[in-house]
Amino acid sequence: MQIQLALAKGRVAKKAIALLGEVGYTFPDYSDDSRKLIFTDSTGRIAFFLVKSPDVPTYVAKGVADIGIVGRDVLMEHPAPVYELLNLNIGRCRICVAGMENAQIPQNKKIVVGTKYPTIAKHYYNEKKQPVDIIYLNGSVELAPILGLSDYIVDIVETGSTLKENGLVVLEEIAQVSSRLIANKVSLKTKRAAIDPILEKFDSMRYDG
Amino acid sequence: MSTGYTLEGFENIQYQGLKHLQTLQGRLSTLYKSYGYHQVMTPTLESYDLYSDEEGFRREDLFKLVNHQGKVLVLKHDATVPITRTAAINHRDRKEIIKFFYHTNLYRNFSSPDIIKKEESQMGIEYFGSHSPECDGEIIELALQSLKVNGIQDIHVDIGHVGFINHFFDTLSLSKKTRLELFRLIENKNLADIHDFIAPLSLTKKSKKILMALPMLYGDPKDIVSEMSELCVNEDMEAVVDYLKALLHHTDTVGITPYLYFDLGFTNRMNYYSDLIFKAYMDDWGETVIGGGRYNHLSAQFGIDRPACGFGIDLLGTLDYLDQKGLLEKEAVSTTVILYHRDEKARAHQYATELRSKGKSAEMFDLYTTPKAFIHSQKNNILYENARFIYLKDGVFHHYQNGALVPEKENPSCKSN
Repeated sequence: MQIQLALAKGRVAKKAIALLGEVGYTFPDYSDDSRKLIFTDSTGRIAFFLVKSPDVPTYVAKGVADIGIVGRDVLMEHPAPVYELLNLNIGRCRICVAGMENAQIPQNKKIVVGTKYPTIAKHYYNEKKQPVDIIYLNGSVELAPILGLSDYIVDIVETGSTLKENGLVVLEEIAQVSSRLIANKVSLKTKRAAIDPILEKFDSMRYDG
Repeated sequence: MSTGYTLEGFENIQYQGLKHLQTLQGRLSTLYKSYGYHQVMTPTLESYDLYSDEEGFRREDLFKLVNHQGKVLVLKHDATVPITRTAAINHRDRKEIIKFFYHTNLYRNFSSPDIIKKEESQMGIEYFGSHSPECDGEIIELALQSLKVNGIQDIHVDIGHVGFINHFFDTLSLSKKTRLELFRLIENKNLADIHDFIAPLSLTKKSKKILMALPMLYGDPKDIVSEMSELCVNEDMEAVVDYLKALLHHTDTVGITPYLYFDLGFTNRMNYYSDLIFKAYMDDWGETVIGGGRYNHLSAQFGIDRPACGFGIDLLGTLDYLDQKGLLEKEAVSTTVILYHRDEKARAHQYATELRSKGKSAEMFDLYTTPKAFIHSQKNNILYENARFIYLKDGVFHHYQNGALVPEKENPSCKSN
């Protein structure tokens, strides 16, 4: 029985593939510039495909993929009916509120926040009871406070160097983020014999590292 | 052609699709009747107050309307609640056994995006007046049979029990918010976050160990029952274990245990479930098609305190599965189309009546063009895919063979006149 794994494209995919190698699954066909879409490991036990990160929970929830590896930020932004089994501790970063250094923003007033994560931002400010206008942006979020589109941004911060280069500073941390191993609610039961060994290997890795 | 009238989230069901739906419905009706269930129907519109927050109905999911008196109504969102009310109104003696089945459309996900389906077609059964392993066993057996009668083989039924987790949480004295958040994490089997979430809480080591164990309490029923015994911290939890043992004894006897998995870490959004809960699904199909359980306290709201258990099956979801697995047989529709000229209408009508009286389908068209042109005009019409066209000319029925008109072998007009 082959397990279908959905991986989020990008830096996390590389780390996840390296991690899979460490637990004994190698993908001879795979290279960075390969045009293939689906890669099967040398033993035929597991096959993975790369999709945009917000699509990973969708593929897993629908059962097209049995398991998936995706950042917690994606699961917070797009909640999906899947099992979030393991914290893989790769792709670690933080979701933060950032703003211009030395910016004078009046308190007790509605603030404007630019973000790629409207759900997370809305939830965060609702909990704080802070009136807010959220502006959804698709990228280059750092520009928003510089050009005056928003007072603050809510974004992923890995090292903080992008923020620094643009004269922004982290003001508050909303959540710690790392990659999660998620599973389809049906597959976990019906393909248990095939999924359990993968889970166990990842789980043992977690405590070693 | 205007497409502006299409409402997203709703679909037309027609031709083969509808035939398959009716076949499915017919098989299930026959099945439920064979176990002594009676069909009931409740109104499409219900009072807004019927679907309360406390029972787990999210207000934003309801389709709401206002009547002329300003009363808020909703389109039927769930079948169990109105059927429980019907049972309570018509059967005042709480000891009566009542077995109902239903087929209804349900309206859900009002506030969800356009692409999410809003209308569901559901059948199901409700068994009132018994709280026994035999009653739960019959419900589970019927859930299995509902799929088996449609040729589905790789069926799994996940059995849970909301009592086990609730009785444990009652010992923890957590705030409602913390409790709900932990339920959500356990439901998602999110061990990493459960670990982080309970670390700062003032709970005993044993309680924390149980919280980490609950999500992983799934697998072979007999293994899980013995694992559960070790986790009990009070008599209520032990009673749940004893109940599940009795249920397993019953399912062993009737031979359905091989289909069962236990999962004590799953909950149900519907808060009316009080004991057993279950869901059924198939291999290679990521979504569940049957969900149900026991709701012993719901009926008390309608003035009659009686235990009950039941389930609902998602017909359109099941049809999708049958379609993908090639388990649907295309039903041939054959109709005889009689083409005639005006002066021979009486004879054409006589033959059509004769066919119809034999239970066959017959249609007749007055020809303004040639028969060939008429047949040609319908050649892409899916409704006449298998139609047999016959042409009445000078008192004799003909059909086309390789483009030429050939008299019918048994010519009805010769017989009947």
